[in-house]
Amino acid sequence: MSAASGPLDEQDVSVLGHVAAMYDAADPVPGGLVDRLRFAITLDALQAEIAQLERMDLALAGARSADATEVRTITFTSASLTTMVTIGQAGADHVRVDGWAAPGAGLSVELRTTDGVLRTVADESGRFVFDSVARGLVRFVLRAADGDAHPPVITPSVEL
Amino acid sequence: MIGADEAAETTLSGRAARLFEQYRSGDEYVMGELIELLTPILWHTVRAQRLDAQAAEDVLQTTWLSLVRSANSIADPRAVLQWLVVTARREAWRVVRKQDRVEPREFDGHETTAPSDEVPDAVVLRRAEYRALWQHVQRLPEKCRQLIRVIAFADRPDYAAIAEALGMPVGSIGPTRGRCLAKLRAQLASDPGWQA
Repeated sequence: MSAASGPLDEQDVSVLGHVAAMYDAADPVPGGLVDRLRFAITLDALQAEIAQLERMDLALAGARSADATEVRTITFTSASLTTMVTIGQAGADHVRVDGWAAPGAGLSVELRTTDGVLRTVADESGRFVFDSVARGLVRFVLRAADGDAHPPVITPSVEL
Repeated sequence: MIGADEAAETTLSGRAARLFEQYRSGDEYVMGELIELLTPILWHTVRAQRLDAQAAEDVLQTTWLSLVRSANSIADPRAVLQWLVVTARREAWRVVRKQDRVEPREFDGHETTAPSDEVPDAVVLRRAEYRALWQHVQRLPEKCRQLIRVIAFADRPDYAAIAEALGMPVGSIGPTRGRCLAKLRAQLASDPGWQA
């Protein structure tokens, strides 16, 4: 029975199914690996400048009241750009993102979420807003107004 | 012909080929889907070579970057899964050699006792079915263990091509059962506690 020269049968496929389930449990793919691999590919494709996460301030405005509003400020810096974003609540599952980049006039700003990409353009003073963004992991991609003169800047993932 | 196309779509390699062809024709966002589809099989391809988790992640990153950088020079886009398995396996082998372990890593493929893989955490071993199967798989020669582990994450029509990508001789598995799977089946058959 089940000789090496015999054709593969349903029971072979079933055994292999158990083997897969066992390895899935014993040595699962690390959480976030797929996202990290995608990030690496994106960086490579954009030949982007990577921004460093500089500071994350957590301020609880009106912390003592029942309707405490969480506000966070995150600063990213890279060789060509400094970007500060403030994240405030906009409903239970959404946040409002207010950003300011310097030098940022006319900068095109992409917010890459797990669901898709949101886009906006910074005003004359480098300010930009995303009114309503679903909570989750996001990263920003910022491109200078003069197009190809500078590589885009990409930030690490942050949790909104 | 519709039947043949549908069959190709239902295998892991068929789905991978379709996504890769879309990517090559300019839809760059499907690369994310391709990564999601193939990360399990590639993770186990690399981990079967007993790289630690961090080294395995680095190998996978190098593998995907290689694919993106050579996307247009890959001769047969329909064989993208095999290309990735070969690339991941070679890169893993390169890293293992560089780690310059003191213990010899050569084996002849016919040894009956093979060094064990890292023991999984206690939670897994507490599940009796997994524990028994784990021990049976550990008793296989290392080459067989690698083959069985990777094949388990593919679909039947892909077995032979993936075995080849793993550097196994033709006929290791598919369309016949092959020596490795026959051995595992024999062990399971003689285990009164195993019913599957």
